Amino acid sequence: MDANIQLMLYLVPTVVGLLLVLPLGRSIVTPFTERYTSLATERGRIFFGLILTCIAGAAVSFQTLWISSKISEAGGEFCSAGGVFSCDDVIGNTDYNVDPIFGLPWGGIGAVVFCILLYFAYSSFKEPNADWVSMHLKLGVLVTFSGFFVIALLVYYEIQMEKICQYCSTAHLANIAAFIGFFRLVRMNDSDTWNDS
Amino acid sequence: MKYTYDDEADARTTAMIRVMALFFVGIMIIAATTSPVATGTKEGERAPALEGKYYNGSGWFDFDLESYWDPLWVEGDITGQWVALEFMDTDCPYCVQSAEDISVDSNDFGSSDSGWDGAIVNFIASVAELNIEGHDSSRSEITAFRNKIADSGESCANIDCGSRPGGAHNFPYIDDLDLENMQKWKVSGTPSYYLIQPNGIIAWSSAENQGEELRDAILTLVPRESA
Repeated sequence: MDANIQLMLYLVPTVVGLLLVLPLGRSIVTPFTERYTSLATERGRIFFGLILTCIAGAAVSFQTLWISSKISEAGGEFCSAGGVFSCDDVIGNTDYNVDPIFGLPWGGIGAVVFCILLYFAYSSFKEPNADWVSMHLKLGVLVTFSGFFVIALLVYYEIQMEKICQYCSTAHLANIAAFIGFFRLVRMNDSDTWNDS
Repeated sequence: MKYTYDDEADARTTAMIRVMALFFVGIMIIAATTSPVATGTKEGERAPALEGKYYNGSGWFDFDLESYWDPLWVEGDITGQWVALEFMDTDCPYCVQSAEDISVDSNDFGSSDSGWDGAIVNFIASVAELNIEGHDSSRSEITAFRNKIADSGESCANIDCGSRPGGAHNFPYIDDLDLENMQKWKVSGTPSYYLIQPNGIIAWSSAENQGEELRDAILTLVPRESA
């Protein structure tokens, strides 16, 4: 399967998740609220979008880890396009494809982080009135906010290489969407609207 | 009292188990479908990038070690070309002495004209300027060392570069006077040698085989028709 078509498997859920965590998500899900009642509330909608985004973020991170492993295996090509969009050139660049402190692949870091975010979101969704929900949501905001510094570093690397990794950019978009989702849930949790039906 | 279903169970446990299951499935798929090779300078690792300007006898051009690699090479295939990489300093006495061995080796293994029936070994030198007093190199010194130019005014380890042992070299000499490649390869001293397979995997390094000569490594590791 073409790498860019495969990317749609991750990009589409990420964009849908992003739209759902935004205030305009209400108009998108209106046709489905009768069948999926949890989408009828603002909280349910944001949680759904957040979980979708975290799953897509984890999946695309696993895919980038797989690509970097494949490239290191035989120097093969996965999505080298010879143009600006070339995830092979970015993920396969040994100068930039691991974090500068521990030397861990960025894809692996992304997979771990998105799984942690998924845990925060999913556990809070399952038991929204538990004592620890506020802490989970705030930790979600903290982790996704920290992700902005990593995104800035990776975008800087891409500028250095004059290449854009479309898989990495999808993971970056998922982090932005997750930040918006966690942030909105924290604000809602602090207000009286948390249990509005 | 026996509970068949615990309504009070903490959602955190369930969420944790499900997310961890998802994570481990992802990791297992990657583990089952890939065999990643670490990038590094130890034997069995993929050679890191080596870039810069190189001198080929007529001028300075862009060098990229990656252009030598053939990802489809399979072990035993004698059509693949190997790389013998030397990290050296034109002012290092040991490097000057070993220039003769390198001349002989590059002539013997660099083409089949010498009667060598094995895979071609491409020799490459990466020239550093070590931070030692008296080690003061330049591109003209690199050129004088490589081409063995007599009376060039360049001094290599306190002798005229043209009077170094061995013949003139005809392989690429990379300018690494800023030590960028040497640091990337974590080379602690010169001369250091690496023998690299056609697929970019390091087969032998002098640092891991103290006392063994590059020539012996080539004869042992590089496949030959007659073997």
